[in-house]
Amino acid sequence: MTCRPEYVKESSDPQEVVACIEERFGEDVQDLELRDYKGGKANAVQYRVLWLTVKLERFLELVSIFEEFDFPHFQVISGNDEGDTVVLNYHFALFNSAGKSKRLNVTVSVRVPKDDPVMPSLWEWIPGIEYSEREMREMLGVDFDGLPNKGLVFLPEDWNEDVKPWRRDETGPSEKDVRELS
Amino acid sequence: MAIGTGKTYKVPIGPVHVGLKEPITAWLDVDGERIINATIRPGAIHRGIEFMARERNPIQVIYLAERICGICSFAHIECFVRAVEDAAGISVPKRAQYIRTIVLELERVHSHILWAGVACYTFGYDSAFHLGMILREKVMDVLEALTGNRVNYGTGTIGGVRRDITPKVEKVIRDMINFYKNEFELFYNVATDDPVTLARMRNVGVLSSEDAVKYCAVGPTARGSGHRIDLRWSQPYEAYGDLDIMPVVPQDHTGEVYGDVYDRFLVRVLEVYQSLEIIEKCLDGLPEGELMWEPNLPKLLNYLKKAEGTGISSIEAPRGDDTHVVRLTGAEENVTWWKVRAPTYANAVSWPLMFKDNELADAPLVINSVDPCISCMERMLVTERKTGSKQIVTKKELLNRCREKTRKVMGA
Repeated sequence: MTCRPEYVKESSDPQEVVACIEERFGEDVQDLELRDYKGGKANAVQYRVLWLTVKLERFLELVSIFEEFDFPHFQVISGNDEGDTVVLNYHFALFNSAGKSKRLNVTVSVRVPKDDPVMPSLWEWIPGIEYSEREMREMLGVDFDGLPNKGLVFLPEDWNEDVKPWRRDETGPSEKDVRELS
Repeated sequence: MAIGTGKTYKVPIGPVHVGLKEPITAWLDVDGERIINATIRPGAIHRGIEFMARERNPIQVIYLAERICGICSFAHIECFVRAVEDAAGISVPKRAQYIRTIVLELERVHSHILWAGVACYTFGYDSAFHLGMILREKVMDVLEALTGNRVNYGTGTIGGVRRDITPKVEKVIRDMINFYKNEFELFYNVATDDPVTLARMRNVGVLSSEDAVKYCAVGPTARGSGHRIDLRWSQPYEAYGDLDIMPVVPQDHTGEVYGDVYDRFLVRVLEVYQSLEIIEKCLDGLPEGELMWEPNLPKLLNYLKKAEGTGISSIEAPRGDDTHVVRLTGAEENVTWWKVRAPTYANAVSWPLMFKDNELADAPLVINSVDPCISCMERMLVTERKTGSKQIVTKKELLNRCREKTRKVMGA
C-alpha cells in the first residue's frame, strides 16, 4: 500500500494512516499497534486507536505528516520516568469532526534521554499544548525548546523546582516531601 | 481606573472561591472597564491525585477518580475504568454499557441545568436561576433513587456497574423524562427568548471557530463556536454506537455562529433535550444480562494484578472530552501511572482569547461560560501597578457591577 495523503484526508481510514507512517518512517517508528474498540448490542467495532513510538529526531516530522490529513487535535501528554529515559506519550486525535466513528486517537510515544531532557515545543503550531508542556516540565523535568511561558502551572509558587514530583530517581520527591494524611 | 490614560491595571480573579469546582486564577489587564489581556494560573489546589494513585490498586483508584470532581464524578470514574479495561483487556456486559450510558446522561442533565441556572444568576436573572434549581432537583432525586447518592454515586466499577435499573427505578426515570418534557420548556423559553439574556450574552466572550480548533477547545465550548465535535458521535463508546446522536451546534438552530456566551448557553440548554432522548432510547432498548465482567472482587483484583499494558479512554463529559491514560505493570498490584485530562484543562487555554476586549463586568460571565466554576466570586484584588495600592473588591461588589450593567443595558 502506498501513502496517499489526499485520499487519507477524504477517507479518514486508520489503515491508510498506518500505511503512510510505515512508508515514510520505516524502522524509526516502532511498537505500532492499531486497537479496535467494540461496544453496543452487536459488539461491533466502534472506533480504533493507534499507538506508536517514534525516534526523538523524527518526532516533529511525524506530527507534521498528521497535518497533511487533518489538524491534530491535541489532548494531553502523559509520561513516566523509566530509568535512563523519560517516556512522553503525546495523545492526539485526528478526524475529530469527520463523521460517526471516524475519530482516530493517536498516541505518539517518545523516549527522552535524562542526560539531555529537551523536546521541541509544538506551541507555535498547536497553542493548545501549552499547559501540557509546562506540566511535563515541572513534573518530569523535560524542557521544551520554543515554549515561551515556562512558569509553573500546577505546582505552588514556593515549590522547590529541583524536585520533580513524577521522577522516580533522586530528583523525585523524598519522604519529607510527602505527607500522609491517614 | 480612568480610560485612555494608557495605564493598565492587573486584576486577579481567584484563586480560591468557595464554589469553584476547579480553582483557578485569572489575571486580567484592564484599561478602564475593558479587559486588554488575561493570564491564567491554575494550580491553587493541585491535590496530586495522579501521584497518590501510584500507591493504590485500580479498584481503590476508582474512588479517588470519583473525587476529582463533584459535578461530573461519574464521568471521571467511567473514563478511568474504561482506560483500565482497555489496558487489561476486559469486556463490559451489554446491560452494564447501557446503564453507564444512562448515568452519564443523567449527570449531563443535572450539570447543564445547574450551569444554565448559575449563568442566569451571574447577570442578575435570579428568577431563571431559581427556576433552574427547582428543575434540577428532579434529576438529583432520580440519581439518588438509582445509586443511593446525590453526588459521588459509587456506581461504576471495572468491568461493569454496581447498581441495576430495577422496574421501580425505571419508572422513576421515565417520570423524570415526562416531567422535563413538560416543564423544561418554560426554562428554555424564559432563558433563550429573554431580551436580557440576549443583551448580556450576545457577542460577549467570543471564541472564533478557528481559535477553538487551534487552542484545542472541547465540549460545549467548542460546539458553541460551531465546531462539530462530540465523542458520543465521532468515537462512540458504551451504548452510544447504537443510538443516533449528532453534535448540537448553534448554526443548526439559529442559522449563525457567534461563538459567544449565548451560543455556549444555547448548546447546553439544547443538550438537555438530547440527553432526555438518549435516556429514553436506552431504557427502551435496555438489554438483559450480567452487570459485571467479574463480580468476585478478589478474583478481579488478582486478574488486574497480572495485567500488563497501557490503556486510554476519552469520553464526552458534560464539559467536553475527558481523557484518562493508565499504565498497569504485570505482577504489580498498584497502578504504575495515571494521567487525567479533565475538559477544563483544555478549555482554560482559550480563556485569554475570550476575555479580550470584554468589560470587567462581563468577566464573571466569561469565566462561567466554559463551566469551570459556579460563580462564587469570593473576592478580587485590584492593584494599581504604579503606586502599588491595593483595593479589595468583594464578591458582592463584583456581582453588583455585573447586575448594574444589566440594568444599564436594559435602560432601567
